[in-house]
Amino acid sequence: MRFDVRALRRTVLDMAYAGKTGHIACAFSLIELLAVLYRSHLSYDPKDPMNADRDYLVLSKGHGVMAQYACLAEIGWISPGDLGRYCSDGTRLTGLADPHVPGVEASTGSLGHGLSVAVGLAMAAKRRGTGQRAFAVIGDGELNEGAIWEALLFAAHFRLDNLIVLVDENGFQAMGRTEEVMRLGDLPAKFSEFGFDAADADGHDEDAIDDALHRFSQRPNGKPKALVAHTVKGKGVSFMENDNRWHYTRLTSEAYERAKSELAGVYPR
Amino acid sequence: MRDAFSRALVSAAEKDERIVLLTGDHGYALFDEFRARVPAQYINAGVAEQNMVGVAAGLAKAGYKPVVYGLSSFVPIRVLEYLKLDVCYEKLPVLIVGDGAGFVYSILGVSHQSAEDVASVRALPNVTILSPADAWEMQASMAYALTSGSPIYMRMGKADLGPVHRGIVTLREGALLGLRAGAARLAIIGTGSMVHAALDIGEEFDASVFSAPFLKPLSTDQVVRICEDSDHVVVLEEHSIYGGLGSAIAEIAGWLAPTRILRVGVEDRFSATCGSYRHLLSEHGLDEASIRSRIRRFIQ
Repeated sequence: MRFDVRALRRTVLDMAYAGKTGHIACAFSLIELLAVLYRSHLSYDPKDPMNADRDYLVLSKGHGVMAQYACLAEIGWISPGDLGRYCSDGTRLTGLADPHVPGVEASTGSLGHGLSVAVGLAMAAKRRGTGQRAFAVIGDGELNEGAIWEALLFAAHFRLDNLIVLVDENGFQAMGRTEEVMRLGDLPAKFSEFGFDAADADGHDEDAIDDALHRFSQRPNGKPKALVAHTVKGKGVSFMENDNRWHYTRLTSEAYERAKSELAGVYPR
Repeated sequence: MRDAFSRALVSAAEKDERIVLLTGDHGYALFDEFRARVPAQYINAGVAEQNMVGVAAGLAKAGYKPVVYGLSSFVPIRVLEYLKLDVCYEKLPVLIVGDGAGFVYSILGVSHQSAEDVASVRALPNVTILSPADAWEMQASMAYALTSGSPIYMRMGKADLGPVHRGIVTLREGALLGLRAGAARLAIIGTGSMVHAALDIGEEFDASVFSAPFLKPLSTDQVVRICEDSDHVVVLEEHSIYGGLGSAIAEIAGWLAPTRILRVGVEDRFSATCGSYRHLLSEHGLDEASIRSRIRRFIQ
C-alpha cells in the first residue's frame, strides 16, 4: 500500500463532492500525517481491523475523518462503494468519526474525547506489556478543550511512553485563526512542560514526520510523545489553502473540477 | 451499604485482574481495603472526571472492566457526554458509580447534591441504571453490574439507613422487589434511600411496598400488574420528580394501565438552605411526616 498523498486527497475530494459535505480543508491538512502512520508506523492486520494486537490510531479530530476513510479504503476496510455513497441516506460512513466503522476507534465528532480514549488504550497496553502503541491525532483548535489537558497530565503522570500525540497545527479553527480565537502559544514548549517528549516538524514533509516518529520509537524514556505538525489547512489545492471557508464550503462542480485537476497524477516523493 | 460495595468490589477485583478502579480523587477511606489488597488495580485519575471516563472507555475497549467512581454530581452529571459517546455508544463494560446521590452532602450545598442524575442518564441508550436500597441490594447489584458486560450507572445515595431486606436478594433485570403485601389498594414504590420511608409509611396505610433496584430497564409487566392491583400508586425517590422513577412508572401506567400516581421527589427546585441530611429532606418535603400527609390527601 502506497498511501500516495495526492491519491488520498483525490479520494477525499471525491467523497466531499459525492456527499455534498464540508470539512475538506480539515481533512487535507492531516493527509501526510495519516499516510506516514499507516504506511510505516502503525502495526495492523490488513485482514482484520479489530485484531487484538493492533496499534491504535484514534483520530481525535473527528472532522478530519475523510482523510482516514481514504486510508481505510486503501487498506480495504472500506469499500469503494461505501466511499461513493458517503453521507447518503442509509449508509454507514458519517461526516464525523464513528467507531462503528472498521478502523475507527472512537466517536470523536465532539472534540476532546479521542485523546482520553487513546490514553486508556495506551494504559491497557502498558499494563499488559504488549508493546502496542496508541497514536492520537488532535487538532490545534481541539486544544481549546479542557479534557485534552486533563488527558495530557494523566498520560505524563502514568508514564505512558507508548502514547504518541500528533497535533495537526494548521493554525485555524472553525471560526478563524487560532491566534485570534484562542491563542495557543508555543505548543512544543507546552507539551514539554506537561512532561511530554515533544518535537515539531513540517506536517506535509513525509520524511520529516517519519524521522520524528522513528526518533520517538527509539526513546522509551517513560515520557509520552507529542509531535506538533505544522500544517496548512486545505493543503494540496491552491484555492483552499489557508482559506477557512473550506472548513464549511461545499464543492460546486466547477470547484470540484479545478481541485481535481490540481490533484491529478502522483505526488513526486 | 458502602461496606457491601467495597467488599464486593475487592472480592471481584481479586478474582479478575481486568477489574480496575478509577476514581476522580474521591473515596476517602472507602478504598483503603481495595488499595491494600489490589493496589495495581487502583487508579486515581485526579480531579479530572471527563478524562477519567474517556480513559475508562479506552481500557474497556482493550479488554478491561473499569469501575469509575465519583460523586453523582460529577459522575455522571459533569461527564454526561463522555458517558454517552465514549461508553454507551459502544456498549462498553464500564460500571459508573455515582456516590452521595440526593442530599447526602447536605451541608456542602447544591454543587454536591444531585437530583438530576437518573433523569439525565435514563435518556442514554444502552445503559442500565441501578439504585440499591441497602447492603443486600448492593451486594446483588454489584454481582449484576460486574458480570453484565455493558454500561451500568449505579446510584449510591444515603448509605447508613440500615437494611430493608432480611437476607440475600436476587435481582432479575428490571424487576421490582416486593417488600410488603398490603390489604389496601395502595402501592408504594421506593428506590434507594427512600425505600426505608416506603416501608415505614406502608405500615400505616397497609399498602403494598416495593423496592426498585433497577431504574432502567423497568419490568413493564410488573408495573402494569401493580397499577392494575391499585387505585393509588405512590413513588418515592430522592431525585427530581422529572425523569426519575416516578416518571418511569407514570410513563408505563399512562400507556398501559392508567391509575392515579403521586410522584414524591424533588420538586424542580434547588436546596435553599444548609443543614443536616434530615433537614434537607424536610426542606424538600421528603421527611416521613410530610410524605404521610401528602399520601392522606392523595387517597382521600
